[in-house]
Amino acid sequence: MIYRTVGQFKTSYRRDQALFPVRQDAFLLAVILLFAWVIFPLTASEFAFQTLLIPVLIYALAAMGLNLLMGYAGQLSLGTGAFMGVGAYACYKLITIFPWMNPIAAIFLSGFFSAGIGVMFGIPSLRIKGFYLAIATLAAQFFLIWLFEKWAWLYNYNASGAIQVPNSEMFGVFVSGPQAASVTQYFIVLAIVSIMTVVCINLTRGNQGRIWKATRDMDIAAELIGINLLKSKLTAFAVSSYIIGVSGALFVFMWRGAAEPNLFDIPLSFRVMFIAIIGGLGSIMGNYLGAILIVGLPVVLNTVPGFIGLDIKSATVEHLNIMIVGALIVFFLIIEPHGLAALWRLVREKLILWPFPH
Amino acid sequence: MKHWKTLAAAAVAASFGAAALAESIYVPNLSYRTGPFAATGIPLMNGQRDYFEMLNARDGGVGGVKIVFEECETGYNTEKGIECYEKTKGNAVVTQPWSTGITLQVLPKTNVDQIPLLANGYGFSPMADGKTFQWAFNAPSGYWDAASMLVNYMDSQDGGLAGKKVAFLHLDVAYGKEPVPLFEKKAEEMGFEFLPIPVGLKEMQNQSAQWLQIRRERPDYVVMWGWGAMNAGAVTEAVKTKFDMSKFIGVWWSGHDADLALVGDAGAGYKSISWSFPNQDAGVMADIQTHVVDTGKSLSNAQEMQGVFYGRGVVMSMILAEGIATAQAEYDTGVITPAQLRWGLENLNITEDRLAELGMAGMVPPFATSCANHTGHSGGWILEWDGAKFVKASDHIMPDTSDYADLIAETAAGYAAENAPWPVNEDCSVSN
Repeated sequence: MIYRTVGQFKTSYRRDQALFPVRQDAFLLAVILLFAWVIFPLTASEFAFQTLLIPVLIYALAAMGLNLLMGYAGQLSLGTGAFMGVGAYACYKLITIFPWMNPIAAIFLSGFFSAGIGVMFGIPSLRIKGFYLAIATLAAQFFLIWLFEKWAWLYNYNASGAIQVPNSEMFGVFVSGPQAASVTQYFIVLAIVSIMTVVCINLTRGNQGRIWKATRDMDIAAELIGINLLKSKLTAFAVSSYIIGVSGALFVFMWRGAAEPNLFDIPLSFRVMFIAIIGGLGSIMGNYLGAILIVGLPVVLNTVPGFIGLDIKSATVEHLNIMIVGALIVFFLIIEPHGLAALWRLVREKLILWPFPH
Repeated sequence: MKHWKTLAAAAVAASFGAAALAESIYVPNLSYRTGPFAATGIPLMNGQRDYFEMLNARDGGVGGVKIVFEECETGYNTEKGIECYEKTKGNAVVTQPWSTGITLQVLPKTNVDQIPLLANGYGFSPMADGKTFQWAFNAPSGYWDAASMLVNYMDSQDGGLAGKKVAFLHLDVAYGKEPVPLFEKKAEEMGFEFLPIPVGLKEMQNQSAQWLQIRRERPDYVVMWGWGAMNAGAVTEAVKTKFDMSKFIGVWWSGHDADLALVGDAGAGYKSISWSFPNQDAGVMADIQTHVVDTGKSLSNAQEMQGVFYGRGVVMSMILAEGIATAQAEYDTGVITPAQLRWGLENLNITEDRLAELGMAGMVPPFATSCANHTGHSGGWILEWDGAKFVKASDHIMPDTSDYADLIAETAAGYAAENAPWPVNEDCSVSN
């Protein structure tokens, strides 16, 4: 009914291969963008910015980086948290060494450090595969966290061993640090995440994306048809780590404001991985859906008892929350093991065919 | 007609109810009753909560205004911490962040949001400099106070510290690293060897490597800066390696009854420096018993209430309540604003007489704060585990604040420079 494709004729190959062959998809996206760019910034409270909008976007970006590597190129990685840390520490060093530097430029540059480290830890992927590779990237996790703790230069010899985001300005407006307004930070995060998303969509639809998918599906066959596996796997590690590094820089500079080394430990890697898996491996949109479920939903659930006037102890709410979110994850994975994105694809197909069952 | 009357009555009652609700002070606490540190958190949070419950039941709050004491669960997780901070800051008069990680995130925002940050006996030691950290308080004692008191105490035993070796077993996070600069300075001055032994967050429960090192190094003292599962791990490991318990001293967060109860008599002689003592005969404990426990409002139990941490929770809430009362008296109002509470916390004067009046004699040493001194430097007591409970093992001892006044000023200035623009209190003419 809503999704009727009747009358939408494609008269050229170009139009048939468009990003949105169905007009309703483009319309839906326009509505979402309208909300993200206009309605949310106008209506959201400080609480919504800090606990829902900004973190969901940043986590979605991190998951997108991981998804390129895991979902498109088929390389398992458990080092996401540490690569986010590399981005964050690189950004911190850039900003403190060159205080005149534009913070957004620093965020984009810090991704390159992360990409370099990612490629270094990606080299073993040429020899080891699957779960064994995951264990190899786990080494990155342990090594880098150790480095963040012990290499005092990284945190400017701060007595507490943590990094603090300084107040930095752009065109007379504070964009990072405690003086920055949430709405400014939201727009910066949204802009960067939007750009990255467009890049990712085009990358995965194009030649490079096909090379990655071929590598993922069967690397021997890919090699036989002339794909250079070394290049394919290492570009996947580089691009993925770049995006993860940028998300790490955003994580600390546009949201947390301060970070200790153990923030980037394995729990963070797992969290990002869960978002990618529950959202749907090999999908861009899935990362957003996953981030909304894993990051956004618990916050919303926490406010429900207070909203409807139930007087439950905060600790009890927390226990309930963990149970509900856990149950939902199991539920979604049972009804659609390929993630929320696949679930949406299914719903959409049904809608297009509606009212016919098949 | 009759319906209209009841409706009108209900409306009037509702509006009065709303008015009564407005006549209250909202005091959130970023608690952690879940997660890996819950065991040490719960007794403290129960103590804090019960004191305000008692004030509400006995006196109708502070200065006749009801205190709405509400917990927001963080599970010691910084991410949840921000969530709670953002959720509560709208009406809150104070932030009690309860973890060094959350303190680190909230501290830079204090100047923007202008809500006092109260971290009783934890957080960033340079917060003592009230001129720089206008909105942050760590009364009654900071970590550098603890380090100074411990050095003085060890120096007063068995012919001084000169030429001895002190191992510093600490959690390898911001909290554990905090006292290192002062220990290093004192080691140089007094001629003792200072040996830091870090315990990573993942090694908290298995410290065999650290204790092997301690056995090899044979230090004269082991000083511990531990929290959560690390304390119990260290105490059991010390018993296993037969380390002389009387040479093992912890900071106040390493003096939890339940950790020592695990080893019982074998732990006898273990010491901990503390700015609070659970005085069971104090009037306030009896009041909590009648007004909170007997009415079934307490979440605690009899055994926990005798512990050091419960008593400390009560003292923490007392400090906050006194801050509120001081502000109410100064501004002659019931419902105070965060800025007024800041004045109250800056002008605390907890004397022996006042403590006796509050029924808290012997539970905390007297102290006073000023706009330049946000810690109060109360000093403390050495508590010793006698096999079943902690007892006072020393007279009231004081830190040598002059030793680290420069360090405080230097670190505070460094923090302000890194976080520029950082406003400092120029009106404050009192010196530290």
